[in-house]
Amino acid sequence: MAKQKKAPRVNLKQIEKIITGYRGQKWPLIPMVEEIQEKVGYIPPESIPVIAGALGLFPSQVQAVITFYEQLYTEPRGKNIVRVCRGTACHVRGGKTILKLVKRHLGVDEGETTDDMEYTLETVACIGVCALAPNIMINKDAYGNMNPKKVARLFERSGKE
Amino acid sequence: MEAVTITLNGVEVSGYAGTTILDLARESGVYIPTLCYDPNLASTGACRLCLVEDERSGALHASCVTPIAPGMTVNTNSPRVVEHRKKILELMLASHPDICLVCDKGNRCQLRKLAAEMGIGLVTLQRIPQNDVIEEVNPFIERDLSKCIMCGKCIRVDQELVVEGAIDYMDRGTMAKPATLNDMPLEKSECTFCGACVAICPTGALMEKDRIYTGTATNVVTTVCPYCGCGCTICLGIKDGKIIEARPAVDSPVNRGALCVRGNYGYDFINSPQRLRQPLIKVDGELQEATWEEALARVADGFGRIKNENKADALAVFGSSKCTNEENYLLQRFARGVLGTNNIDNGSRLYSAASRTGLGASIGYAGTTGSLDALERSKVIMVIGANPEISAPVVAYAIKRAVRFKGAELIVIDPRDTPLTQFASLWLRPGVGTDVALLNGLARVIIDEKRLDVEFVTRMTDNYAGWAKSLQNYTPGHVEKVTGISKKNLQAAARLLAGAEEASIVYGNGITQHVTGTGAVAAIANLAMLTGNTGRRGGIFALQRENNAHGACDMGALPGFLAGYQSVDDAQNRQRFEERWGCSLPAEAGLSALEMMEAAREGKVKGMLIMGENPVASFPQPALVKKALSSLDFLVVTDMFPTETVKFASVVLPAASFAEKEGTFTNFEGRVQRLHQALEPVGDSLPDVEVLFRLAEIMGSPMPYASHQEVMEEIEEMVPFYRHVAYADTDSMGMDWGDVESNSLGTRRLHKGLFPSGFGRFSPVEYTPPVDVSTDGYPFTLMVGSSRYHFGAGSRSSRSFRLSRFSPTAFLEINGVDAADLGIGDSDTVKVTSAQGELSTTAKVSKTLPQGLLFMPISFPDSPVYELFNTVLDPQAKAPALKSCAVRLERTAGDG
Ligand code: SF4
Ligand code: SF4
Ligand code: SF4
Ligand code: FES
Ligand code: FES
Repeated sequence: MAKQKKAPRVNLKQIEKIITGYRGQKWPLIPMVEEIQEKVGYIPPESIPVIAGALGLFPSQVQAVITFYEQLYTEPRGKNIVRVCRGTACHVRGGKTILKLVKRHLGVDEGETTDDMEYTLETVACIGVCALAPNIMINKDAYGNMNPKKVARLFERSGKE
Repeated sequence: MEAVTITLNGVEVSGYAGTTILDLARESGVYIPTLCYDPNLASTGACRLCLVEDERSGALHASCVTPIAPGMTVNTNSPRVVEHRKKILELMLASHPDICLVCDKGNRCQLRKLAAEMGIGLVTLQRIPQNDVIEEVNPFIERDLSKCIMCGKCIRVDQELVVEGAIDYMDRGTMAKPATLNDMPLEKSECTFCGACVAICPTGALMEKDRIYTGTATNVVTTVCPYCGCGCTICLGIKDGKIIEARPAVDSPVNRGALCVRGNYGYDFINSPQRLRQPLIKVDGELQEATWEEALARVADGFGRIKNENKADALAVFGSSKCTNEENYLLQRFARGVLGTNNIDNGSRLYSAASRTGLGASIGYAGTTGSLDALERSKVIMVIGANPEISAPVVAYAIKRAVRFKGAELIVIDPRDTPLTQFASLWLRPGVGTDVALLNGLARVIIDEKRLDVEFVTRMTDNYAGWAKSLQNYTPGHVEKVTGISKKNLQAAARLLAGAEEASIVYGNGITQHVTGTGAVAAIANLAMLTGNTGRRGGIFALQRENNAHGACDMGALPGFLAGYQSVDDAQNRQRFEERWGCSLPAEAGLSALEMMEAAREGKVKGMLIMGENPVASFPQPALVKKALSSLDFLVVTDMFPTETVKFASVVLPAASFAEKEGTFTNFEGRVQRLHQALEPVGDSLPDVEVLFRLAEIMGSPMPYASHQEVMEEIEEMVPFYRHVAYADTDSMGMDWGDVESNSLGTRRLHKGLFPSGFGRFSPVEYTPPVDVSTDGYPFTLMVGSSRYHFGAGSRSSRSFRLSRFSPTAFLEINGVDAADLGIGDSDTVKVTSAQGELSTTAKVSKTLPQGLLFMPISFPDSPVYELFNTVLDPQAKAPALKSCAVRLERTAGDG
């Protein structure tokens, strides 16, 4: 697999085009940034002043809105979101070790994205299937009773796809 | 409006519908604690501390956002209210570090004050860990967000009052905090260090940094900022005879709780070790310390000798647009009555003479026609040749508020990209020095499209037909050729301006300091009259650089006018003053500032008194000024600092600073505001008023005033439009603006659209190609102007500890393409050469300049840009062209 540079060049042209589509609309900030995130994958910080300029807002105001919503990101995100549970049940059953292993497999820290943009690693507090602890979620699927072997298999398998 | 009656703590009170419970309570003298409320900001109801109970419904309301309703029975202190309030406060304190005792906010901390009021001591709730101090290198503001209670006041003041937009919330939940874009330190953000957020923060989260003296103020003195012409009211906190902080006055109609970085942090020049503390006398070429008696005797002798051996006109006096009205009034009395000459002028000649002359001839009144309120009410604002964000920040705040919150449209006319352009609906970038053509073009479009205010023009003005004919050549096509502004944009601007119910035109030194300044000002007045915007609606806003430029001229520190613009060649005018002063006065108009210098070089003027000005730094061609000053037989300078000019003096008299004296300043609106003494003068220094009293006495013509009060009373008597001003009122906020409109002061302004003479006069102005722009051999046009952190000739700001540390050296801004062409990189040393002179400075590649244009700040005594300027005078205003000149540029050294 070709190694990609971590911070891809931001295509401001594409973003500007999206922004133009909202000309004349009332309160277009949220739909606009959602569309940018959808098409670009995240909301590049470089685009904040451009968005602000188009809407007659201050960049700091735009940032305030983006950082307020959990679903809006200002950093590029991988194709797959891996969430390791660090809730109490998972914790007492080795969740910490699982996290360490996942980190080693992916080669990234919490909150980071792999260079090939495949995975973003996050942690969550209890995903609600404590009986199967320790748990991992990849995108919308939960994987229970994790152990080192399973972790290895999980990432080998999805890595090959 | 309808009145609503409610019961407040058992008493019936009424207010207008829409009044909040809090406002009505405050009016009625009932105290309700608040944290996030501020009278200058829109209320958000964020902190809930201002809770009150409606006893009928049992509902708890945040009183700062709840309007009164008929029949409400409000209890501001019921047991439920008290309990809730306590809980809220305890929650805030739970996430607050326990370091009140060492926090510098001291008794200005609202949180601590309220906790004490409510008897809350140790907080029993579990502590929530918090953010910490942010690493920042600026010398102005320190942020420790562990003390933040998230009231949002800093954010609102930043966005709603000063409209800089540097900060907003970031993140959510327990991570939320006020932050800059990308959470950078303030110095890397849009922050201008206006300090408004620090002043409003109710806790120690935002604090003034690098104070010279710490501790809690025991006394607060309200006075007026000594820097720009806005005339902000500042509150100086005093402890043990030292100023420990400055804060904006919340109730000032000018600045309403905001200042700029100069007013907030720049006052510390008064503590500079370089202050002159003792009179100095030149002995064998060296200035040596002397007593006041020796120094004044020397002055009396020096001036007396010159007057006897020559004529009185061998003497000249230079007053200051930084000194008080009283000082300037006495100075002109001293010049005319004691020395016997009309050779008197003041520093504002260099930047606002064109305004006086141009507006005087057109509208009959030499200044701004309306108040800041009127500006903020305008529906369209046109800013031409001004960068108020730097030169008059409070005016910029008002303009930005009008645009952001009141739906005003802004037209910016400026070749440079200024902070205002991002607020503009239309930004025109004409070639430097082509303003007259542009203004005439706008007028012509308005006339051609029949968009003029016919009624106003017919009833209130004169010479319309003659002037309209003079516009014949200024077709959009021709104007486009001259200015570079497209026909489309010209028409758009004209339509906006003429279509607005109320429009205002703001202009500054970018207009007045060109050779054609007087003409351009008249062209602005023409446009304002054509659209009926001369004060009744909208207005003309002439920015003035220095705090008292208006006042110095009003007071007659002018060669042709006695106080109140009463012409000296009119015998009747003279007679009034002669009778009042008991002496005879010279009849012939005297020399203006530059003429004095020339006369000194020619040996015609032999003795000079300079009060608080630094012509070596502020005049064009410092070399010639130096030559003039060294040709004098006798030079007396009063100043706070050993400036470049002081070096030439035979006698130097140490002057008190603005914080060390009484008096009045007149701001750019014409508002007369009172100074209050906060400190004793340093060393042996004295206010200039006192110096003039003593000097007149020694020279055998004592001025019989027992106090400052008496000087002001005489001004009120002799200057009709200064009647009912500052000394009559006892409070400190200057005069009541209502008085101005209703009393005789109204006669000086154009309120209700009235011109003092009954009519405004259209005057034709022809465009002449600029001489102060690039030519053969000098391919660049250098523009000069103020910078945010410095001021005027820089004699004060360069001695302000914090301002000079933050922005220590001058620079030359250059467009990136031009820089690349010449192989110039950021921070390279460059040599700037004009036909007059050259200087070396550091290059700074800038995004705000178009190609071919350079910019340099004026306020750095070490890089005297005026070396590059010629002494071309505006023929009418007798002021030099100090805005731009032609230069060439070369790189001399890399970034070493
Ligand atoms: S100092 Fe002024 S510009 Fe800076 S953040 Fe505070 S309010 Fe905004
Ligand atoms: S920093 Fe001060 S003003 Fe700003 S939110 Fe915190 S407590 Fe309020
Ligand atoms: S310099 Fe001007 S704007 Fe700034 S605080 Fe002083 S008077 Fe106000
Ligand atoms: S603690 Fe991990 S799923 Fe509940
Ligand atoms: S003061 Fe009313 S809610 Fe804060």
